[in-house]
Amino acid sequence: MDRTSGRLRILALLVILMFIGLTTRLWFLQVLAADKYKDKQVTNRTRTVLTPALRGNILDSHGKPLVKNRLSLQVQVNQQDLGANSAAVLTRLSKLLMIKLSTLESRLKDPRYYAYAPIPVAFDVPKQVSWYVTEHAQQFPGVRVVEAPVRDYPDGDLAAHILGNVGPITADETKEPLFASYGQNDVVGQTGLERQYERYLQGTKGKSFYLVNAAGKQIRTIGSEAPQPGDNVVLSIDARIQRIAEQQLLSGIMRARGQADSTTGQSLVANAGAAVVMDPKTGAVIALASWPTFDPQWFVQGMTTAQYKARFNSSDGQPALNRAEFQVYAPGSSFKPFVALSALRSGVANEQSSYPCPSVYYYRLDPNHAFNNFESSSGYMDLASALRVSCDTVFYKLGADFYDKSAGSAKGTDLLTNDLLPFGFGSQTGIDLPVEAGGTLPGFDYALQHKSVYPFGWLPGNSILTAIGQDSVTVTPLQLATAYSSIANGGKLCRPHLADHVETPDGKTVKTIEPKCHPIPYTPQQLRFIRSALSGVPVSGTARTAFLQFPLSSIPVAGKTGTAQRQGFQDTAWFAGMAPAGNPKYVVVAMVEQGGFGGVTAAPIVRHIMEGLFHLPQTNPIKATAP
Amino acid sequence: MDLVAGRHFADERRPIRHLDPVLITGAGVLSIIGLFLIYSSKHAQLQAEGADPMFLVKKQITAMVLGLILLLLVAVVDYRFFKVYAGFIYAAALTMLVLVRIPGVGTTQLGAQRWFQFAGFQFTPSEFTKIALCVMLAAILSELRTPEPLLRDTLRVCLVAGVPMVLVFIQPDIGTTIVLVAITVGVLVVAAARGRHLAAVAVGAVVMIALALNLGVIKDYQLARLTGFLDPANNSLTTNYNKSQAEIAVGSGGLLGSGYLKGTQTNLEFVPEQSTDFIFTVAGEEFGFVGSMVLLLLFAVLVWRAIRISYLAKDPFGTYVSAGIAAMFSIQMFVNIGMVIGIMPITGIPLPFVSYGGTATMANLVAVGLLLNIHMRRFK
Repeated sequence: MDRTSGRLRILALLVILMFIGLTTRLWFLQVLAADKYKDKQVTNRTRTVLTPALRGNILDSHGKPLVKNRLSLQVQVNQQDLGANSAAVLTRLSKLLMIKLSTLESRLKDPRYYAYAPIPVAFDVPKQVSWYVTEHAQQFPGVRVVEAPVRDYPDGDLAAHILGNVGPITADETKEPLFASYGQNDVVGQTGLERQYERYLQGTKGKSFYLVNAAGKQIRTIGSEAPQPGDNVVLSIDARIQRIAEQQLLSGIMRARGQADSTTGQSLVANAGAAVVMDPKTGAVIALASWPTFDPQWFVQGMTTAQYKARFNSSDGQPALNRAEFQVYAPGSSFKPFVALSALRSGVANEQSSYPCPSVYYYRLDPNHAFNNFESSSGYMDLASALRVSCDTVFYKLGADFYDKSAGSAKGTDLLTNDLLPFGFGSQTGIDLPVEAGGTLPGFDYALQHKSVYPFGWLPGNSILTAIGQDSVTVTPLQLATAYSSIANGGKLCRPHLADHVETPDGKTVKTIEPKCHPIPYTPQQLRFIRSALSGVPVSGTARTAFLQFPLSSIPVAGKTGTAQRQGFQDTAWFAGMAPAGNPKYVVVAMVEQGGFGGVTAAPIVRHIMEGLFHLPQTNPIKATAP
Repeated sequence: MDLVAGRHFADERRPIRHLDPVLITGAGVLSIIGLFLIYSSKHAQLQAEGADPMFLVKKQITAMVLGLILLLLVAVVDYRFFKVYAGFIYAAALTMLVLVRIPGVGTTQLGAQRWFQFAGFQFTPSEFTKIALCVMLAAILSELRTPEPLLRDTLRVCLVAGVPMVLVFIQPDIGTTIVLVAITVGVLVVAAARGRHLAAVAVGAVVMIALALNLGVIKDYQLARLTGFLDPANNSLTTNYNKSQAEIAVGSGGLLGSGYLKGTQTNLEFVPEQSTDFIFTVAGEEFGFVGSMVLLLLFAVLVWRAIRISYLAKDPFGTYVSAGIAAMFSIQMFVNIGMVIGIMPITGIPLPFVSYGGTATMANLVAVGLLLNIHMRRFK
């Protein structure tokens, strides 16, 4: 029996090992790792259902809503549930909605939606449609009529370019870190401020927690978190001024179309334009207009591909393009004040000397290097007068002197470019919009980098033409307004911004957009000199006609016209102004593509906007249109 | 006085006075805990289906009553009687295993053919095969003429054990096969089979299994189940889903558990087979580490008593039968709980006394009856 008891010990030992194994593992699971498994247990039994939050509003500087939400009955079709008779269902639906079957089908192919998601095919349908579909549900598999909040634009197309639109999140966007927490059926800001301030506007989704079993069946509700509506974005845009700017821009464009081009005699095309109103002290944008424009409601209602093409891809219209900040143009003579400032700073010119203003400028007296004066010419004049009458030949000489001085200076120093850079030319202003163009400030280095345009490098002629805002110089209207603001505010370049602050729905400020300004290397004296010179422009200079009978004595306006040549097109008309000239409150820039003379086409637009800004009687009244 | 004393002594040795109260208490408490766990595991589901939440508990109690009757029958007859009829018992078990394979006689369920179905009850012959094998092997080994088994004897034992193993394996029921192997090894070890003989048999078994694999006798899903626990990240396997759900249930119990009837893993059906193979998850989730330890302790008591009875038995047959039963209980407990907590492959082995299951409950009580029988008649 001894042997047996020994063998029984072996058996007992094996059993003890089993118990040790189990106890160790249980200790690990239930004591050491218990928290991890408790979390998993909770995750297992809870399902979270998200409810979308109401999107924040976009308000103007007086709190007037520019974008808000409204409830809309929309018809959604889930293609996967249409069943075998999808054609029959769609035909029935087409009759019910009075939408052509082909239109319906093309809406279902909208690439912005996932094929398996419900796709909205009709918006703002009458209640009767909803009742009919509900009563005849078996005839409409996969079709549902739901009431959903959609974006509402109380002022129609007002400020359409800057507000932007919302749309279903795209497959690519879901991969971006910004949208990490978003679901596949979420609606997000696609363009403009809707995109820029997405983070604030979106709000926090509501959550309902359900106890579910292994099959996913909901047993009961555990709890819920109410959705938090998105924050409101309050703009520095003043709806009243924005409307005036848009109306006067359009009016100015239409007026130009009645005029003849000075070189060809043909009617001006005046196909597009832009206007900017800015507070020069802060960079706050008060109005930003671009024409042609579009109705943001189109995006709410959805467009077929054909409709989209007709509305947005037409060859010359491009209404979606925000010409105020995303399109660049040669500034022409509106660039001269900055060249004058550069000349003063670099000692190429001074405030007192007189300069000849012939009709032709010959570089180094060489008849092969002749540059025509496109503006009036007359004897000798000082720098201020040269700005007032916009004498090209005076500035040609400045450009030439810059070139000669740079060529003689230490290698690589491009004096004109160096002096112009502080005004922000050649780079984006940093406005709070998702996309922006930066324009071009050419020079020695630019020529080296663009051999196709400058096969012989940067030549004296390039500096000469740069001095009158031609050559490769391009700016956006917004960029020009920002640069003029630095003259207006006494020497700070401020980053323009559309939003003033972000606040909760009950009005608590969440974020304030602080002005971001930095000093530019020009003395107040130099800037004052330029302002004073420019204040002669509306009085007796190139914008004299445009400002006739404007109360310049009480509200002096300083400004500069520009008539920029553009290869293959009619001239671009510019006017950049500031008022009151002594201590400007506003900078206003207007630009009309193929608009002819700046003084004729653009300056009146600025004048009429200023009438609105200073609450003067409107000398170009616009018939009230229904908001 | 002597006479009186002698009578007294003889009276002392009367079998009925030598029941093992610890064994009875251990098995009893485990069975009662089992009833509570079975109720917890299925009441919500039964209620949701509009059935009596006590349905399974009642069926289990019925099986326990039947099992107790069998226990009494087994305990009353001197156990040496079973040695005499070991051959018949073994043959009867094999016959049932063969019958269950015949279509129309045996019932196929979940892809396995291992039940007889009658009068609303299922009878699983393989549960009794375990006990029959204990008795048969014990009978063979206790009749050896050499003090320890020769290689020939070991091989004979393996052959005798191999027949039911194969029959059970092809049902397919890997779990029971493992138990039969453990019983065989347990009995051989206690019967002092030589280490190298056992090693030789083990090598042979490995070769056989390898052959079975290559010849496709083992089905792919069986292999996947057996190896799935080695690759816990692979959730494509249902078995790994089951395993991870079971681990969450046990782990989330923590030290003290979530409280009786409050385990969501169990009550919301995340854990599969909650009332049978995965019954331990209920204990783990609702009573925590403490509850798990109580269950382990009760099993320790059970196995300790079985080994003790094996030691105390008056003849080798009793020793071997008890050792086989000890091996049976301990391997079932280990493989079942081990599978629930992720250290053993998923095989369909019920937890003795605790899992819901009529035949298993009855077979376990019969095993207790045998142990009590051997314990009662330990005096020569």
